[in-house]
Amino acid sequence: MEKVLDVRELKVALRRDVHRSETEILKGVEFSIGKKESLALVGESGSGKTLTAMTVMGLLPENMSVKKGEVLLCGRDILKMSQQELRDVRGVKAGMIFQEPSSYLNPVFTAGNQIFEAIKDTSLSVKEKKKRCIDVLKDVGFTEDIYYRYPHQLSGGQQQRVMIAIALVNNPSLLIADEPTTALDVTTAAGIIELLKILMERYGLSLLFITHDISLVSNFVDKIAVMYAGRIVEITDAKMTMDMPLHPYTEKLIACLPERYNSGEKIKTIEGSVPDFHNLPSGCPFHPRCPYVMEICRKSEPPVVKKYGILVRCFKYGMSMET
Amino acid sequence: MRRYILFRLLQFIPLLLGMTFVSFIIIQMAPGDYFTQMQMNPDVSPQTIENMRRTFGLDRPVVIQYFFWLKNIFRFDLGVSFSYHIPVSFLIKQKLKNTLALSLFSIFLTWLIAIPLGIFAAIKQGRWHEKILSFLAYIGISLPAFLIAMLMVFFAARTAILPVGGTTSVFYIGATGWEKFLDYLGHLLLPGLALTFAGIGGLYRLMKNNFLEVLGAPYIITARAKGLSPVKVYFKHTLRNAINPMITIFGYTLSSVLSGAALVEIITNWPGMGRLMLDAVLSQDLYLVMASLLIGGVLLIVGNLIADVLIAFVDPRVRLR
Amino acid sequence: MRVFIRRLKDKNRLSFVSLWILVFLYCLALLADFIVPYPYDLQHREYALCPPVLPHIFHNGRISRPFVYGIEIVNPAFKEYRQDTGKIYPLKFFVKGSERKILGIIKTDRYLFGTGNGKVFLFGTDNHGRDVFSRVLYGARISLSIGVIGVAISFILGLFIGGISGYFGGKVDAFLMRLVEIIMMFPFFYLMLALRAIFPANLSSVQVYLLIVVILSLIGWASLARIIRGMVLSIKEEEYVMAARALGLSSFRIITRHILPNTFSYTITALTLSIPDYILGESALSLLGLGIQEPYPSWGNMLSVAVGNLRVLTGAPWMLIPGFFIFLTVITFNFLGDGLRDVMDPKNW
Ligand SMILES: Nc1ncnc2c1ncn2[C@@H]1O[C@H](COP(=O)(O)OP(=O)(O)OP(=O)(O)O)[C@@H](O)[C@H]1O
Ligand SMILES: [Mg+2]
Repeated sequence: MEKVLDVRELKVALRRDVHRSETEILKGVEFSIGKKESLALVGESGSGKTLTAMTVMGLLPENMSVKKGEVLLCGRDILKMSQQELRDVRGVKAGMIFQEPSSYLNPVFTAGNQIFEAIKDTSLSVKEKKKRCIDVLKDVGFTEDIYYRYPHQLSGGQQQRVMIAIALVNNPSLLIADEPTTALDVTTAAGIIELLKILMERYGLSLLFITHDISLVSNFVDKIAVMYAGRIVEITDAKMTMDMPLHPYTEKLIACLPERYNSGEKIKTIEGSVPDFHNLPSGCPFHPRCPYVMEICRKSEPPVVKKYGILVRCFKYGMSMET
Repeated sequence: MRRYILFRLLQFIPLLLGMTFVSFIIIQMAPGDYFTQMQMNPDVSPQTIENMRRTFGLDRPVVIQYFFWLKNIFRFDLGVSFSYHIPVSFLIKQKLKNTLALSLFSIFLTWLIAIPLGIFAAIKQGRWHEKILSFLAYIGISLPAFLIAMLMVFFAARTAILPVGGTTSVFYIGATGWEKFLDYLGHLLLPGLALTFAGIGGLYRLMKNNFLEVLGAPYIITARAKGLSPVKVYFKHTLRNAINPMITIFGYTLSSVLSGAALVEIITNWPGMGRLMLDAVLSQDLYLVMASLLIGGVLLIVGNLIADVLIAFVDPRVRLR
Repeated sequence: MRVFIRRLKDKNRLSFVSLWILVFLYCLALLADFIVPYPYDLQHREYALCPPVLPHIFHNGRISRPFVYGIEIVNPAFKEYRQDTGKIYPLKFFVKGSERKILGIIKTDRYLFGTGNGKVFLFGTDNHGRDVFSRVLYGARISLSIGVIGVAISFILGLFIGGISGYFGGKVDAFLMRLVEIIMMFPFFYLMLALRAIFPANLSSVQVYLLIVVILSLIGWASLARIIRGMVLSIKEEEYVMAARALGLSSFRIITRHILPNTFSYTITALTLSIPDYILGESALSLLGLGIQEPYPSWGNMLSVAVGNLRVLTGAPWMLIPGFFIFLTVITFNFLGDGLRDVMDPKNW
């Protein structure tokens, strides 16, 4: 299948000026998204999800740098592109929406203005561009008058839909949604998810959906990639994950979901805390929190193995690729 | 927006009243009153003084006196100068013009220079351009206006490039309107530049920090994710947001501009409020001192009001409330 | 404290250097009695407006021990001087002279340096023939102390009023903050002059000194009070203050024991950064003849000779040297304040 996004062995490091040292934050992230396919990147806060997305957009913060790897967007490696080429790709090949729409929209410009300026097609006249804006606005479920509204005059859900309109105005192949519903209330969030489903269909989009809530995406995306401490520890078919999590971390994530509780039970959390990137535990980074921890987990990092057609990084499933 | 501006206007009224009250208290604290000095003048009979005391309400309780004084102020009657024997308002009107010319000239120039430099440095943050500029800004911030003025007078006198002192040259009489204007401008240059140099550093730093802060805002990531060019990211998205707080700051900087202007005026012999007030203090011309103080305060209030109105215009969050 | 200085050194070199420059300046001021070659009011009538006379170590191309040349006046009307290379006076250290008291306590009859019969004017002389170097050192006492004392008094006022305002809130807060706003709405310099005008022009040195401190503090407390109020407001809601209140501690105790200590790091930065305002306020008043009075020197009144007197200004630029010291003090305090902010900010640890 043709791949829209193919991330290979991506390593990203953080420079720390004080000690002039580098800390690796993404440690070889690998996943791919096919045409019209959707993948959810799931993991606890700080596991490196946003960073992965930012690398795909070529928008790493200045104190971060890519150490290794390839990020093929529609077949071209964006890590090798010049700034100008990157700008041409952004918006056109991939659009992105964020967690808090209210702070990601510029408060002093109208919604229309912010959509309008995103249009990359220089062959369009002003009138055609405006027409295009109105069309996208209609696609995300608005009427024309939203064009003249300022962000502060819109609700959170409306703001997120404006963000979607901005991201889609150039008909990109890939939409990256970084926790787009976290800042919204449940019903509004459901509305946004529904809208995304419809738009994927209409625009023939591939979707990279970032979230920390595995239940939110399990019946909506095709694949789920679980991320822990800068690594993808498991990539599965979304339908299978909930019933058959392989990696102990995935298992824990699912066990802690609120809907899995019987009434009266205490709220569960994963014991231990997200490790600090500056001093990760040796071996498998999850081993201090893992119930199945073995001697080997403390010493060396588990390789990727394939079990039941699922890619997983855990010694529970052996040392090498199983056929 | 109209409601907002009206609201701000109303907010300034108690401030203004408070100011008159503070000014009044200060006069009260001074030994003697307006007529103590007059009593020493043998030409004025005690009877006249007694009559005047009554008409000015000085024989009444302090609070009543305050309202008398307030009433006069609103008729632009700020009292009579002891030393010049003419109405204070008349004296101030003459000098205020020069102080305003000096302040506005330097504010204009300061902004014209500091804002672009601040933006440039913010974009080059951490590079040598920024480091040099920021170091220079430190020097500028630490050089008080009066020292800069003295240094400039020193160089101007040594090189004779700029006229030093006064507002007009000898050949002023008989010059055409345009020549007069240019001559005035020439004399304004020295104090104006001194005041400008004193202000650039601070404003530069504020602008740079603002710009940097806005550059870190999430909506700048959105702008970049759209694939906008740096020009658009910096000068559309960042600048528009970075300039808003600067407008508010305009109101605050006015205070240091006026203070600096007063000192620069004295040192460069520019006949403005500063000189007037100093002479008034030296000759214990209390009414003149208090009137100047009040006018200084009113200027600040007006400046802040202008800033508020401007904010309402440029910030849709205020405008469309 | 030592950790703190080390951190300052690591984080912000410039402010570390500034700290030492300030320490040095304060030492100069404290030990002025011992260091200066001449008393501040000693007039060398025949050497008015003499340019700096500096020690040399080369004589006829050979290194010798430090010495100064004699000076002779060439043109008394225009105050032109020339060094007489024929006359050589060696520079002596720990020379004996008439007895002085360091800070009015320790008696000494030896000074750091002197030349016997020659004259050494490191920074030249003023229009009365007084040694500018000696006067700068004595003047340092004014500027360096007035900033700190002024800030301390403003701080106490600001702490008190800001603390009350933030803690009690409501009408008290509204009233006090309006007062603060009113004071801040007057241009600093205008208010300073107006307050000065209430008092007679000629007062004794000590009176004037105290008066300046009072005036500057009366103006300066407002902005500090506002800062402190803001901090009190934010801290008031924090848990440990809530806990203290739940324990039934009195308001006063909560303010002094719990709220104020927590605002310490921020306040110390704000205070350091506001010291320059006080130094400049004093300089400005003295420059205009409304502050420290002759013959006692302050950096401000030493500059006043050059104001409005182009001949002195252009002919004797060394009269601007006190201005350089004002600048040096202000910039080092600014650097130090910024360094403190870097160090105190927990984000930067
Ligand atoms: N600009 C930055 N400077 C320093 N560290 C950063 C920066 N951005 C991210 N990090 C670090 O990189 C790690 C991964 O961050 P990332 O934002 O990708 O996490 P995330 O998985 O998106 O978490 P969340 O669910 O909270 O959004 C975190 O430990 C964070 O501290
Ligand atoms: Mg994130």
